[in-house]
Order: sequence, then C-alpha cells, then structure tokens
Amino acid sequence: MLSEKEIYARLNEVFRDVFDDDGITVNAKTVADDIEDWDSMMHITLIGAVEDEFGVRFKMGEVSTMKNVGEMANIIASRAK
Amino acid sequence: MVFADLFFLYFFLPLCLVCYFATKKLKYRNWVLIVFSLVFYAWGEPLWVLLLLFSAMVNWLIGLLIGQNNESVGAKIALAVALVYNIGALGVFKYSEFIVENINALAGTAFKAPGVTLPIGISFYTFQILSYVIDVYWGKVPAQKSFYKFLMYISLFPQLVAGPIVRYADIAAEIDNRRTKLTDLSEGFSRLIVGVAKKVIVANNLNTIVLSMFGEASDGYLGLKTVSTVGTWYGLAVIALWYYFDFSGYSDIAIGLGRIFGFHFNENFNYPYISKSITEFWQRWHISLGSFFRDYLLYVPIFGKRRKYGGLFLVWFCTGLWHGASWNFILWGLYYGLFIVIEMKIGKKRMKKMPAVLAHLYTLAVICIGYGIFYFEDMKAIGRFFKSLAGFGGNGFIDAVTKTSITNNLFLLLAAVILSTPVIGKIKELGKKSVGACAVLSTAQIVCNAAMLIISSLLLLNNTNNPFLYFRF
Repeated sequence: MLSEKEIYARLNEVFRDVFDDDGITVNAKTVADDIEDWDSMMHITLIGAVEDEFGVRFKMGEVSTMKNVGEMANIIASRAK
Repeated sequence: MVFADLFFLYFFLPLCLVCYFATKKLKYRNWVLIVFSLVFYAWGEPLWVLLLLFSAMVNWLIGLLIGQNNESVGAKIALAVALVYNIGALGVFKYSEFIVENINALAGTAFKAPGVTLPIGISFYTFQILSYVIDVYWGKVPAQKSFYKFLMYISLFPQLVAGPIVRYADIAAEIDNRRTKLTDLSEGFSRLIVGVAKKVIVANNLNTIVLSMFGEASDGYLGLKTVSTVGTWYGLAVIALWYYFDFSGYSDIAIGLGRIFGFHFNENFNYPYISKSITEFWQRWHISLGSFFRDYLLYVPIFGKRRKYGGLFLVWFCTGLWHGASWNFILWGLYYGLFIVIEMKIGKKRMKKMPAVLAHLYTLAVICIGYGIFYFEDMKAIGRFFKSLAGFGGNGFIDAVTKTSITNNLFLLLAAVILSTPVIGKIKELGKKSVGACAVLSTAQIVCNAAMLIISSLLLLNNTNNPFLYFRF
C-alpha cells in the first residue's frame, strides 16, 4: 500500500515532467485551472504518464470526471499495488 | 415549430406562459412544459414525436436499470444497449442514405436508400439522452425515477430543436426545485429578444448577402461561377458572421426561454471570433457540443498507446459528421482536427508568443476557409471555391457585385462585426460603476429591446428570407 505522501511525491514528479515545469507542486485541491497548460489534450498525456508511473489503469469515466488531483490520488491509492 | 416565427412568439409562447404561471405547483408546471413541448415538436414532426416519446421511455428504463447498481454486469449490458439504440437510431434516421450512397460508390452496387426523413432535433436530443445514460453509469448523477420528469428534460422545447445540448446533470436539481424570480423574467425576456433580433434582423439579412455572392446547393452555387477573389473572401467573412448570429441567436433564445421557466442553461457561445487560436475558438464556439465530445468521446479507451491521436481523430471526425451526412462536413471536422494537432505540436507557450494581430488573423482565416468547406457541399464546388480563394477563379480581383454588396450593406456588416465582440458587455460593465450611467443604460436597454422586437416582428410579418439551418442536425 502506497502512503499518501509517496503518492503525491511521485505525482509531483509526473506533473513536472509532463508540463515541463519544475515549479509545479500539486496537492489534493489542485485543479486543471491551476496549471496553465492542463487542457483536455494534455490531460490524456498526463493520464498516460500517471498510469505508467503507478502501474494502474483509469476507467474512462474517471478520466473524464475527475475534478482534482485528490480524486486522482484516491484512485491510485485504491488500485496501486 | 421554430422560434423565429410570429405564431411562436405571439401565440404559442404567451399561451404557454399563461398556463405555466397560472399553475402554482411545480409538478403541474412541469406538465405544462411537457404538453407544450410535445405540441411544439409535433407541429413540425407529427410522426416523429412518437420516436421522441419512445426514445425517452427506452432510455428512462435503461437509466433505472443502470442506476440500481452501476458497477454490475447488468449495468454494462444496459449501457451497451443504450449506446447501440441511440447511436443506431441516429444512424438510421440521419445517416442511412449517406451510408448506402457510399457503399454503392465503393462496391459498385445499386442498393436503394431507405428514404427516411430526418426527425428534426434528433442530433440534439440523442446527445442529451447519451449524456444522461453515461453520467448515470459513471455515477455522476442518480437515475431519474420519474418518467414524466425525464420526458420533460428530453422534450423541453427551448432547447429541443437547435440546442444547446443541455446535460441532465446540469439541470437535474432545477427539474425538482426552481423558481422564476423577477430578474429571471427580465433577463430571460431580454435574452429572448436579443436572440430573435440576432436571427431575424442580422442573420437573415447576412444570409441574403451570402446567397447573392455564392448561390446555394439548389442552384448549383451559381454565384461561385462569377465571383472574384475579393468577393470570395468577402463572402466567407459574411458566412462567418451569418452562422454566428444565426446559431448564437438560437442559443440566446433557448437560454432566455430557459431563464423564464427558471432553468439556468450553460452558455453555448462566448464571442468565438475574438479567439487567438483554433483551440481557443472551439472553447468559445458551440461549447455544449465541444464539451460533449471532450467528456464522452475523447478519452475512449480503444486506441491503446495511440489514444491521444486516436481520440482526437474520432472527436473531429464525429464533430464533422454530426453537422450533416455529407463528406464536406467530415472534411470540415478533420480540417479543424489538423489545426488542433498543429497548435498542440507548437505548444501553448509558443502560440501565446505570436503577436496578437497575427494570431487573430491566422485564427479568423482558418475559421473562414473552414466555412467554405462547410458551406459548399459538393466536392466540385469546394474545388472551385479554393481556386477562387487563391486568385485562380478566372473572375478577376474584384467584381461589381462585390463592390455593390459591400457599399449597400456597410452598416449591417459593421454592426455585425461590432456585435460579435464583447463591446456591449464592456459598456454595460462600465455603466455599473456609476448610478447615473446605470439608469441611462437600463433605459437604453428597454428602448433597444422594444425596438428590436418591433423591427423583428415587422420583418417576420414581411415574410422575408428566414431559413432554419438546423434541419440537417
């Protein structure tokens, strides 16, 4: 079981890598509007990168409806080995 | 029935409002809306209103099934049935002729097209139904237990025939609990009048110009044979304004009517022509369609590692196809997909570095040329159009018809350009800062609304050119 701290630390790395911005620090409340380049297309890249990092798969409904990074982290916590 | 029509504005709507506000309980008000919505639809589609009712019943039952346990295998099967039924119905009624034509062309067969007429609004209400069923499956909203409430959502006449695609999740709460406040009434009626004026005073007259420049499908695009290069570009700009005023006018009417009945629909247009990129344009143009494809199609997990480009291709193919069963619409959709990919490759940061004037010019040029692909439905005409656009049409740089058209319509064109930007909104905002200006602006708005309603009514009475563009949607 991954700790919450570890999930956010690794998510941070993925976000910085995907958006090519080392200034990004995500938390549970981070939403797409907080990160300038996070649009629907970057969302696909991001989801793919997060899936690879944690070895999880998101369902289409989750990809489409997740409201913030907190929801993403919860799904990872419930699914990652 | 359509909105830009005297019978609707001066008989149907007042009668509906009297019945609606004469009843006090929300349950009866909902019933008033259902009855009037079904009459509204049956007026033009006496047969297809049965399809609407049947679809509502089928999907309501499916929603209930999924809602019981959306994690179950039964729910998956029910969702699959809903997708097959709804997309299948759209396929049969909207695309069967197109499919048969293409099969015949490819295989050299001579199958006869079934010759079904397109039920008006089917693309809009099918998408509304899909959004409901999928959202219930995803657990975003609970299933609607009451059939009559679901039927009201599907048939609600303000958005039934020309959008916007209102999602169930967005108005679920208002179906059960809504009130029309005085501000809803005043803002709703204002919005309704603005919409009618945009359609009747501006869009219809712009359409007349387009017809004089290019002709239309039924006359084989006669004007295209004589139009000059400047004329082609001018005609395209007028098409851009015409589509915006027609479509956003209809959305204004829908949103205004919704407000009068206590509903708050999301905006469908947000000054699309001030965009500085094609990506931004699609966030401002027909927002309810773009967000529908984004949420329900873009992330479809069937392309594996290529899901980004696979999803993009699917979205833009379907965006094109949704607008009509013809290759030019598909081409138009993919054309936009191409620019979205190019902009994605350039990157947002670099796109933003482009000088503003250049960014606007690039965006408007792409949009206008796109409208050419949209307007000319046969490939031969599209070929002629591109030739003419590039200066090889053989009709010179500028022709007399273009010169006369620009001079005769200068005021209308200038007004249309100004009104397609947020100038009026900005003036209103400034006016709010002082009490005196606020009073002047409110009075001006009342006078303008009255004038717009009178002029629109006179034009409708005069029975001038008043096309309904959404028969193919």
